[in-house]
Amino acid sequence: MKFKTFTAGLCLSAGLTAGAAYADCGSVSITEMDWASASVVTSVASFLMTQGYSCDVTVVPTTTVPAMTSVAETGQPDILTELWTSYTEVYEELVADGKLVELSKVLSDGGVEAWWIPQYLADAHPELTTLEGIKANPDLVGGLFHDCPSGWGCDITNNNNFKASGLAEAGVERFQHGSGETLATAIAAAYEAQEPWFGYYWAPTSVLGKYPMVQVEMPPYDEATHTCNGLEDCATPGLSAYPRSNVVTAVTTDFSEREPDVAQMLAKMSFTNAQMGEVLAWQETNNASNEEAAVYFLTNYKDTWAAWLNDDARARLSALLQ
Amino acid sequence: MAYYDGLFDRLGLRDWCDQSVETAPTSMQALLGQLGGGDTEQTIARIPFPSLDTLHDSCAQIPQTRDMTAGVENTFLAARESLKLVLDPITQPLSWMLDGALWLFTTTPWFIIVPLLVALTWYVARSIGVTLFVAVSFLFLGFIDHLDVALETLSIIFVCTGLSVALGVPIGIAMSRSNTLQRMIVPILDLLQTLPTFVYLIPLIFLFSVTESKLYGIAIILYAIVPVIRLTDLGIRLVDPDVIEAADAFGMTKRQKLWGVQLPLALPNIMAGVNQTIMMSLAMVVIASLVSAPGLGVLVLRGIRNLELGVGIVAGFGIVLLAVILDRASKAALGRIDKNKNAH
Repeated sequence: MKFKTFTAGLCLSAGLTAGAAYADCGSVSITEMDWASASVVTSVASFLMTQGYSCDVTVVPTTTVPAMTSVAETGQPDILTELWTSYTEVYEELVADGKLVELSKVLSDGGVEAWWIPQYLADAHPELTTLEGIKANPDLVGGLFHDCPSGWGCDITNNNNFKASGLAEAGVERFQHGSGETLATAIAAAYEAQEPWFGYYWAPTSVLGKYPMVQVEMPPYDEATHTCNGLEDCATPGLSAYPRSNVVTAVTTDFSEREPDVAQMLAKMSFTNAQMGEVLAWQETNNASNEEAAVYFLTNYKDTWAAWLNDDARARLSALLQ
Repeated sequence: MAYYDGLFDRLGLRDWCDQSVETAPTSMQALLGQLGGGDTEQTIARIPFPSLDTLHDSCAQIPQTRDMTAGVENTFLAARESLKLVLDPITQPLSWMLDGALWLFTTTPWFIIVPLLVALTWYVARSIGVTLFVAVSFLFLGFIDHLDVALETLSIIFVCTGLSVALGVPIGIAMSRSNTLQRMIVPILDLLQTLPTFVYLIPLIFLFSVTESKLYGIAIILYAIVPVIRLTDLGIRLVDPDVIEAADAFGMTKRQKLWGVQLPLALPNIMAGVNQTIMMSLAMVVIASLVSAPGLGVLVLRGIRNLELGVGIVAGFGIVLLAVILDRASKAALGRIDKNKNAH
């Protein structure tokens, strides 16, 4: 009880001294995308908002496209985080229409998408890190290209790249997984049995954090080719690496006006791939939940997140920062 | 201070509790506690349930629930190799059958496969209305460019229901003959029907290579085999005892009774089971697509993932159309059997 009176007193005195600028923020909704890194980002953000800015946070589990559609139709949720913008034209439209404001690149290095082979395969057969090498020895990669599920953005791009690569003629079959789970399991199973594997995946993910993989060399990113590859009926599919994906935090315009302090914090919130990879690898080895991974980040990277906060929030969280 | 600290102290277990303490990941609650926000005031109304996690807070020797699930996982993984050794060769023919059926249905030109399927409908149903409906449906699916995926789905269903019937009817017969066996199998059937489909998909993913078609084949068969077993058992048990008595009076052997009396009389029930099995394997098509089954389910999933409403609705409609076709054709076949029986 002592504590409660203490907070009440704190709020009261703060209210007297700082006035409107220190007003508590109201209720806030934030997305939680259904992959590990996004969940860590969301947990960290909601912790900081709840404890540092006294927000009433609602977490909305969703994925990229439904979240964006929801913003377009209803203006909710307030905060979209770990949004991979490269596949969603809607995103550009929403920003242009002034419905969404891009605050920061939440993964500062951007997302990496590529075709990979496991490290041990690359060590044993270095030639497999090039498409020519794979085409010359399709058996060494198991004769299969593990592609992402139908309906994912990468599906069409991979298919066009695959067509252009001539892998099919060389005897590599394109196997399209039914879901992201089986794609990840395929990597894990291959690693356990030290079997050949060749396919698409992306970083930062716990899968790539746990199982070291080597990128298969591709011709450098070419905008025109890549754009055409993204179309289902691309007439001239060509080979092009993926561009670095922008992974952003975006908020509704309404929210950025309503809660400028929180928006300022979110604008600074950003993780490097190394940090995120380390957290995810820790999570995988410790069998930890997403929330515990967030706690791991909060306890081990204090300097990083302290820099995101404003002075008031830092004062509120000072017990953790010592 | 966790709630049950006192309990362990009083039991004299404190020393045991504190030896070799392994640091578990900090929980969000513990972090909030560091902030000074954790209200440690203990009232009667707030006694936490003595669950593994709560007890672990007081005594580090007590495993957390997380350790228990990890234990289950490890047991399963340890048994996996030996399970694989047995199950892999047994189930291999399923992969061949599925791949073969898919190849057959997708490489045969449409002007051969569609008339063949229509002829098959006529053969089993002998009904002009049903045959005409099937023909029109296939032409419609072809017209909207969904014939290939629909045929993929259909080929999976043919293989899976075929196997379900081939396995389910003998199991049902065995069950009808032995009450002990029935008592043993019924709970398994209940389990298969009520277990969320994903729960048995997970071990399957670990057991078999995800790139093999038997993965979804097994998932579909496990789910769809139940009605045909149940209704075969029921059908045979429902045969009028007087008829069996008559058969006994004629001095029929067990085998003669089965083939000559019980199965023919139970046929309407068995056919109803087959009909249900077909419907249930169709219901599994979308879920099986999550483990890489081709066909209309893939399009439904794409529709859900990208909110491509049209794609999802059209593919869903395709599944419904297939369901109606299969239902009508098998019902017409059932009706014919009933009619034949009544004619005798």
